[in-house]
Amino acid sequence: MIAPLLLDRRGLLATAGMTGLGLLAGCGGARAPQAGVDEGKPRRGGRLRIGTIEPTQAGNLDAHKPVGAGIIRGWAIYSKLWEWTKACEPTGALAESTEIAPDGQSVVIRLHQGLEFHHGKTVSAEDLVYSIRRISDPQLASPYAGLVAAVNRDTIETLDPRTVRLHAHPGKGLVALMDTWISFGGIVPTDYDPVHNVVGCGPFRLKSFKPGQRSTFTRFENYFKPGQPYVDELEIIEFKDQTARAYALQSGQIDLADLVPVEQAQLLRRSPGVKVVTSPTNNVQSLDMNVLHPALSDVRVRQALRLLADRPDLVKRALHGEGTTGNDLYSPHDPTYDHDIAQRAHDPDKAKWLLAQAGHPSLALTITANAAGAPAALVFAEQARKSGLDLKVERLDAASFAVPAPPGRAITTGGIPARGFLASALHYDAPDAIINRTNFHDPRFGALINAALSQPDVEKRKPLVHEAQHIQHDRGSLLIWGFTHVRAAARDTIGGLVAEKTQFGGWRVDEFWRKDA
Amino acid sequence: MATQAGAPPSVGIVDRWQAARLPLPGWFPWLAGRLLAGFGTVLAVSAIVYLATLALPSDPARVILGPEATDKAVAILREQLGLNRPIAVQYVDWLRHVAVGDFGNSLDSNVPAFGLVIERLGNSIALMIFVLLVTAPAAFLLGVAMAVKRDSRFDRTAMTLLIGFKAVPPFAIAVALILLFSTGPLAILPAVSILDPSLSPFAQPLYLVLPATTLLLLVLPFLTRLIRASLTETLEADYIAAARLRGLPERRIVWRHAVPNALPPVIQGFAMATRMVLGGALIVEVVFSYPGIGSALNAAIETRDIPVVQAIALLTAIAVVFINLVADFATVLLTPRLRTTTRPRLRSGTGARLRLRAGGA
Amino acid sequence: MTSRRRRPNRWRNERQIRAGTVLLAAVLAIALPGPWLAPHDPNALIGAPYGPPGAGAWLGYDYLGRDIWSRLLAGGLSIFWMSIAASILALAAGAAIGMLSAYRKGAVDQGVVWSTDVLFAFPDLILVLLVVSMLGRAPWLIVLLVAIAFLPGVIRLSRGVTLGIVEQEYVDSARMMGFSSAHILLREVLPNMITPLLVQFGVMLTWAIGMLSGLSFLGYGVAPPAADWGLMINENRAGLLVQPWAVLAPVAMIALFALGTNLIAEGIGRINARIEEEA
Repeated sequence: MIAPLLLDRRGLLATAGMTGLGLLAGCGGARAPQAGVDEGKPRRGGRLRIGTIEPTQAGNLDAHKPVGAGIIRGWAIYSKLWEWTKACEPTGALAESTEIAPDGQSVVIRLHQGLEFHHGKTVSAEDLVYSIRRISDPQLASPYAGLVAAVNRDTIETLDPRTVRLHAHPGKGLVALMDTWISFGGIVPTDYDPVHNVVGCGPFRLKSFKPGQRSTFTRFENYFKPGQPYVDELEIIEFKDQTARAYALQSGQIDLADLVPVEQAQLLRRSPGVKVVTSPTNNVQSLDMNVLHPALSDVRVRQALRLLADRPDLVKRALHGEGTTGNDLYSPHDPTYDHDIAQRAHDPDKAKWLLAQAGHPSLALTITANAAGAPAALVFAEQARKSGLDLKVERLDAASFAVPAPPGRAITTGGIPARGFLASALHYDAPDAIINRTNFHDPRFGALINAALSQPDVEKRKPLVHEAQHIQHDRGSLLIWGFTHVRAAARDTIGGLVAEKTQFGGWRVDEFWRKDA
Repeated sequence: MATQAGAPPSVGIVDRWQAARLPLPGWFPWLAGRLLAGFGTVLAVSAIVYLATLALPSDPARVILGPEATDKAVAILREQLGLNRPIAVQYVDWLRHVAVGDFGNSLDSNVPAFGLVIERLGNSIALMIFVLLVTAPAAFLLGVAMAVKRDSRFDRTAMTLLIGFKAVPPFAIAVALILLFSTGPLAILPAVSILDPSLSPFAQPLYLVLPATTLLLLVLPFLTRLIRASLTETLEADYIAAARLRGLPERRIVWRHAVPNALPPVIQGFAMATRMVLGGALIVEVVFSYPGIGSALNAAIETRDIPVVQAIALLTAIAVVFINLVADFATVLLTPRLRTTTRPRLRSGTGARLRLRAGGA
Repeated sequence: MTSRRRRPNRWRNERQIRAGTVLLAAVLAIALPGPWLAPHDPNALIGAPYGPPGAGAWLGYDYLGRDIWSRLLAGGLSIFWMSIAASILALAAGAAIGMLSAYRKGAVDQGVVWSTDVLFAFPDLILVLLVVSMLGRAPWLIVLLVAIAFLPGVIRLSRGVTLGIVEQEYVDSARMMGFSSAHILLREVLPNMITPLLVQFGVMLTWAIGMLSGLSFLGYGVAPPAADWGLMINENRAGLLVQPWAVLAPVAMIALFALGTNLIAEGIGRINARIEEEA
């Protein structure tokens, strides 16, 4: 098991035995937040009903293609090689050890002994190989295949029944692999079928699945964490509507709600018998500027827009104050993050001057937003209006919004869950980003990222990342205005729900227990 | 709603049948014609919806996989879903499958579209039955009472209330009901209708109350006024006057003689009310999170889940056509003069209809 | 003849029309001059999100911190012109099509009747949802779609009326005398249709208000940051119990608008029906 790395903003505390181990720090910040009240020892038994929001997609049960509510179902059915700690660092789960070679071109993963799948088969190297080949199979067309694109799926070596060595494609580094593979890397047996043989080694066995409505699960007695999960049965109910779910929680129709939006949180905090747990995460909230757009290709225009953003105001209105401001850079918790880069201030005068210089004294652009990003887009448009810019907000439904980075779009709302620096880069502006949201291609930046991806040693990676961040800050295409808190709510009878640095507080189904069991 | 019958198809054949000792009822050619027209209608609806969904921007494969999928992955999924074939080919293929009851799988969740849709349709129909079961007697009693006590204070107040409810948009009523009955001091009903799919909706009546009330307030005014107007007109007929002269008790006159003859327009009204409930239900479903067919359609359109959209459009069209057909048929059967003609005219004349529309005086 | 004589109740209908007019006037007094009367810019972010009513904001602030009262004043115009436009469009097109179809009879008539059946058989709103998803949310498009939704009803009505008239003998004699079809339609048929069409207009207006606000409520109407009553309800529904005014105020406005137009339409319809009868 990889010992967690404790970080704080002033420095880096490495635990012993880290040399040679490439560990990508997750999203941990200061000490992991404590649960407010000592809840006592977890009790076994009972039934837990979780309400999750899935307005449109019914989703499926596929380990490697989960969408919508399928993600939380995945947490119940599947286990991965690693998992996130509450301080948001990857730590070993099914993997007993993970060793990245010093040149970042290969990694050796060893499984624990005696792991079992739901149908009794032992988890072996064969299943591991099957799983990684499945998620990267072009025929499966998993949207997350890009996250493991660095791995060469044809040169996987099985070293022994529990150990596997993965090689990278030439020139690509595997330093970010844990961070990227964790999310959707469920380990499945070789006889897995997403519809007819839904089997994993997660805390719960699937009992029934009604797409778009609810799914039920029963405890898997041979889960690799002894004594867990605590509840006998799990039920995940899908709601189309936030208000409806909030009412259901208030009236006891469900026990727990994940990812509670701010309005419902205010309501639920006032409700007797319900508690709201707020996790201060580094989930990115961004406005992505398309570098191919004629006006935005000029770095002065991009800088101007960044200066126009009144970040505290955006946090106050779009996040109702439940968040922190950003400095156009992601992953502040990453040990390689450069904290010396000055916070960009709100400077409309300088912005206007830059725009005039660039020849666009009164700019007209469209911000394309989905339902989640619309409030921020509207607030930013209003802020920009005071400086004479005409920013229109185009709110699209999910389907129309899903088309990635078409050249026509000027500014798009965006955001990703908090991850390490390199993993975030792979979601945003790295040369191998699964989709480059802003068409940002800077040769020096690309070279730095690629070098960093092959550099498992944190200290040696720092200068590379620092320089890359300076480039992002000076001429990048992202306007990261803030990070949002994530809330989960539960009835007082539920234990095990604590605030974390991650957004996964509401998904740790193997840790929840009933106080009245 | 009823249409005028087309030229009776193949009267010659009917004559020959009848000559050959097989006595066909007079309305048979009409029914056959209507069935044919209904079939054509359903086909047309399905074709239009099919074309419309294919014209939607952004393809289902991209929607399913999300913006983070590579273009290659999307292309492969498109191929797997058969979306690259010409539209006409896809449509014909779909028709062929539908003819044997195979509506394909939901692109979103991979379960058979038919099962998904039927269940949601079942929920909607359950709600509709619940609403109509309550509305029908209420509308009858109210409408008859109002017609009999025409122009009394009771009639006037009831009329005002009905007009009020009829005018207010359904979501306004829904929001008001939630505020009244689900929050605050009177919080006795659930604001959310999270039906347990393993149970029949009728086994969970509490969840049906608020949505049904909203729909009831939408439909009751219409039906009540229809009954009232129809009965008013019937009560003015000569034979009613004659019955009064003969000394029959008023109650018997009303219920035994007048009401049955006032029924035909009401049946048409019922069909229309059913359509109103199925139609107004989308907003009710959204506000109360009721898992019905309206929100299923909305979700399917949003996710470009084409098989589900088409399944819903087709099945709903069939349902609507069927209801209309049943209503027209019932009207024909109930009206002796219509029973015996081959060209039933289901309208009682434009004058009467205009008066009905205007709510009767 | 012992049927009960109806008591003359013109006074009741007048009261109805008066009530409706009062309501309508109240709503229009807010909706029409509203944009110019608003104390704050409806789009300006001036308060705390979901802030309570206070000195500068009589109803409080909406989910982004904008003044609800100002948005309420600015938000009626779109639904006002769109509902009228949709009703007029449906009326004009439906009357024309129905008239011509009934006059021509034959295959064209059958085709029109069958087309209205097809339109009726569409699951409600699906046409609008599909087309809006296809083509985006332009206001004129929404008006067009709502008009199309009402079209079958108007066609049926005008067709029925026309049929009733066309079968009269005086039309035949007019034709034999050489009058053109257009002349006959305009001079003989149309005047008889005006009254029922007017009544239908009132009814359709109410439906249009309901349908348009419903579409906005579902998110298919006017685009943000426009101030629009239906959209306000959609945007602020999540915070209904935190800041109810953001939802209640526009709901009340829409309800009163629909009620006012309906009362007037009903009143006029009754008066006309009675006039017809007494004639």
